[in-house]
Amino acid sequence: MKLAAHYNKVNIVVTLSVLLIGAVIYFFAIDKIINNRLDEELGEEVSEVITYVHQNQLLPKQFDIDENQVEFIKTNALNSSPRYFDTTYVNPRKSGDKSGRAFEGGIKFKGDNYRIRIIKSSESTVYLKQIITAITLVLILALLTILSLTNRYILNDLWKPFFGLLAHMKAFNISESSSFILTNNKVDEFADLDNAIAEMSSRVKTDFQNLKQFTENASHEMLTPLAVITSKLDTLIQDETLKKEHFDQIQDIYGAAGKLSRLNQSLLLLVKIENNLIADNDNLDLNQLINDKIRQFQELSASKEIRIYAELGSKEVMVSKHLMDILLNNLLSNAIRHNQSKGSINIYLTNDKLTIQNLGLTVPLNSNSIFDRFQKGSTSEGAGLGLTIVKNICNVYDWDMKYSFVNNLHTFSIVF
Amino acid sequence: MKILIVEDEQGLRENMLTYLSEDNNICESSATLADAVAKLASYNYDFVLLDIGLPDGEGFELLNYLKNEMRGEAVIIISARNSLDDRIKGLNIGADDYLVKPFHLAELKARIVAVFRRKATSSNNNLIFNEIVINLIGRTVFINDVEIILTRKEYDMLLYFIANKGKVIAKTALAEHLWGDEMDMHDNFDFIYSHIKNLRKKILDVTTNDYLKSIYGIGYKFTDR
Repeated sequence: MKLAAHYNKVNIVVTLSVLLIGAVIYFFAIDKIINNRLDEELGEEVSEVITYVHQNQLLPKQFDIDENQVEFIKTNALNSSPRYFDTTYVNPRKSGDKSGRAFEGGIKFKGDNYRIRIIKSSESTVYLKQIITAITLVLILALLTILSLTNRYILNDLWKPFFGLLAHMKAFNISESSSFILTNNKVDEFADLDNAIAEMSSRVKTDFQNLKQFTENASHEMLTPLAVITSKLDTLIQDETLKKEHFDQIQDIYGAAGKLSRLNQSLLLLVKIENNLIADNDNLDLNQLINDKIRQFQELSASKEIRIYAELGSKEVMVSKHLMDILLNNLLSNAIRHNQSKGSINIYLTNDKLTIQNLGLTVPLNSNSIFDRFQKGSTSEGAGLGLTIVKNICNVYDWDMKYSFVNNLHTFSIVF
Repeated sequence: MKILIVEDEQGLRENMLTYLSEDNNICESSATLADAVAKLASYNYDFVLLDIGLPDGEGFELLNYLKNEMRGEAVIIISARNSLDDRIKGLNIGADDYLVKPFHLAELKARIVAVFRRKATSSNNNLIFNEIVINLIGRTVFINDVEIILTRKEYDMLLYFIANKGKVIAKTALAEHLWGDEMDMHDNFDFIYSHIKNLRKKILDVTTNDYLKSIYGIGYKFTDR
């Protein structure tokens, strides 16, 4: 639910209930005031009648005084206490009963007890009440409508800088060097938020840059010692007095040094790809490139008697030759290395998709983590960066890299 | 050949010096840019092996110096930086090759020999090792005047061996030379074994001298001794 909707909901509920309670109180207050007024008038009427009776010593005829109906009823009951009440008013000239207000009280006349009842039409006051109620209701409705409309517009307007900031934050890219653009808000709160975000993003970016710089420097610094190790080993093996056991040890050191140097190169390559430092884009014929790669890997695949089936359409891409080489190298060497002997590899290239399938383990790989750094299969000799590099290269060109396991085939597909 | 090695890392410098100081090569070394420039100002060399990251400046300065002085020294850059920009920059200023650390000394030697051969203006395009004659332009190999047909890998291997003759070459060095690290052959040396086997057989078909010797599973040596 949107903030405006939340706000509107609360706002409308509160306003509506306050207005309704107010209207009810208002209604009863008006009602009371009007009744009081009618009762006052009736009281005057009564005193007039009583004065008349006392002065003239006779009961007034049952006529309508000011359209009020006056009745005298002889009664045996003693003076009943005077009371005011609502009743119906029968207008002799008009048909139908209308509401009216009545006074009833006792009067003593010539030794007899009479009950006097005066009924006054309250039609006009009812009409007044109706009008007031209608006006109040219309006012409530109008107020609600205006409130919700203004709320909507004012809120939208007030929150505009917020949505601007949000869009900025969504577009935030940690590896981009451009700094966060301040939106120059006049509202203090948003200006604060703006500053806080700008500060945070620049801090995050600096940290990220430092980290990358560190990775790069660390990798570089490792290369020279590695070169020393390699050259020392190269010199050591020239010694003719060494025995077989020594050479075995040296071979292991060679292996470890080689692994370390490959790991280093992969890390450096990742940093370069992530920094978009490789930009030598060329128009490449993928068909040709893949055919070349298949030829290049023929020796490797033939040694495991792996059959490579390729169904290649034509596709040209605007990419770096270097990166594309690495991408195909990684995918193909994976497909061969993790294959069974006498297995098979299928390669399909269409205008919008490159698919490489290979036989291998009969269980699917974890598709959530295979593209993560240092994730590798239990039998893998690599450093676990190959697929990460492939994925990152795909990201550079906005390609979608997917893994699936179909019919015992590990399927890697790139959607261009 | 007179070779100047400019490298600040002592261990590496000494090993390069030892490895290259044979075959009548004279090697000298500098650990700093200033020292290298001083040496180059006084003497002529055939080769300069140049590290880019030196304590007192970038190796590119030395390249510029050589270019401005119109010197004929061949230069191979040895750098920990494997960036395309550096490579292009180095080659543009006049370096003849670019070798990324870490490298095998055998690879360095092979590169030096290759650059030297390329630069040599002699009309003789034949590389001769005893009875083996290699025509570098036609990429053909004759032994005792009989041509032997080698595959591309076998031919590359033979050149590599002759450039490092008398030295033990590690299998890993050979694998890297033949397949590059991009192929990622890892510890799979079966291919090398089969290529070596084939090359050796082809040589032994026409001569009785077995130059290729296997050294305890660590590598191979091409020697006439």
